[in-house]
Amino acid sequence: MLEVSLYPEHYEVFGVNVGLSVVISWYVLAILLVIILLIHFLVVRRMQIVPKGWQNAIEFMVDGMYRWSAGKVGHAADFVAPVAMTLMAYVFFNTIIELFGLPPATEDINCTFALGLCTFFLVNVTGLKFRGGIRGRLQGLSMPSPIVLPIRILTDLIAPCSIAIRLFANIMVGGIIMQLIYAVAPIILPALVASYFNVLHVGIQTFVLGLLTLVYVSEAIE
Amino acid sequence: MTLGIIAIGAGIAALCGAGAALGMGNATGKAVEAIARQPEAAGKINSSLMFGLIMMETCAVYALLVGILIVFILGAKV
Repeated sequence: MLEVSLYPEHYEVFGVNVGLSVVISWYVLAILLVIILLIHFLVVRRMQIVPKGWQNAIEFMVDGMYRWSAGKVGHAADFVAPVAMTLMAYVFFNTIIELFGLPPATEDINCTFALGLCTFFLVNVTGLKFRGGIRGRLQGLSMPSPIVLPIRILTDLIAPCSIAIRLFANIMVGGIIMQLIYAVAPIILPALVASYFNVLHVGIQTFVLGLLTLVYVSEAIE
Repeated sequence: MTLGIIAIGAGIAALCGAGAALGMGNATGKAVEAIARQPEAAGKINSSLMFGLIMMETCAVYALLVGILIVFILGAKV
């Protein structure tokens, strides 16, 4: 029967209670670190003026991210793009790990809420940095008239919860639909549907998280 | 009896999908109209349309989450 739980299992690591999602994200971070070291020694150390091979792909990704953020947040792109790219890489690899048989870390609401808090800090730090301190930030929040200030502050405070619940619900619902399909038709059909729910859906959610982060930041600095 | 009421609750939660569908249809229709009028602004229209669609889709996903939690967490207790 289908198992749905808001409280995933916990493990003891050196006497500290850590959730399953934390352990999975450690695996993912270890893999990512190895990949980054490989890229560093095999590609970045041997950069050429005219790129070829892997350098092309990496330049395409980095440059695309910078241009996409510049289209959203303008002059703050140099500050925001690396953080947004990191968040997107974290979400993407922690969710695509489902293909390798591990439960995705983003299926845990604690993980997604932590990501929401990251976005919240990014938004506020960028707002303080590019609007000149707390005064400029408050002026930006009370933009059409000071009456909207409490509502804007409330909106900013709800943004991390909204990001967290959106990502969590999307990933969890994808998993539940896949389980239902496996229960109904164990052969052929899951292979077709999994290509959407386990691969394409992950890409869409990653894109959505990056887009939301950039839009919140652009609202904070405009 | 209680299980039936829980199922009705989940069904009511799923009604949120109607609102999300209406909003999405409306927004997409307006965006298509706007692009037809001004094809050179397609990029900007598309990105704001995408943001709005994400917001509406979030609403629908909340309803789905509430429905699933009602069925599987409340339903498991009966």
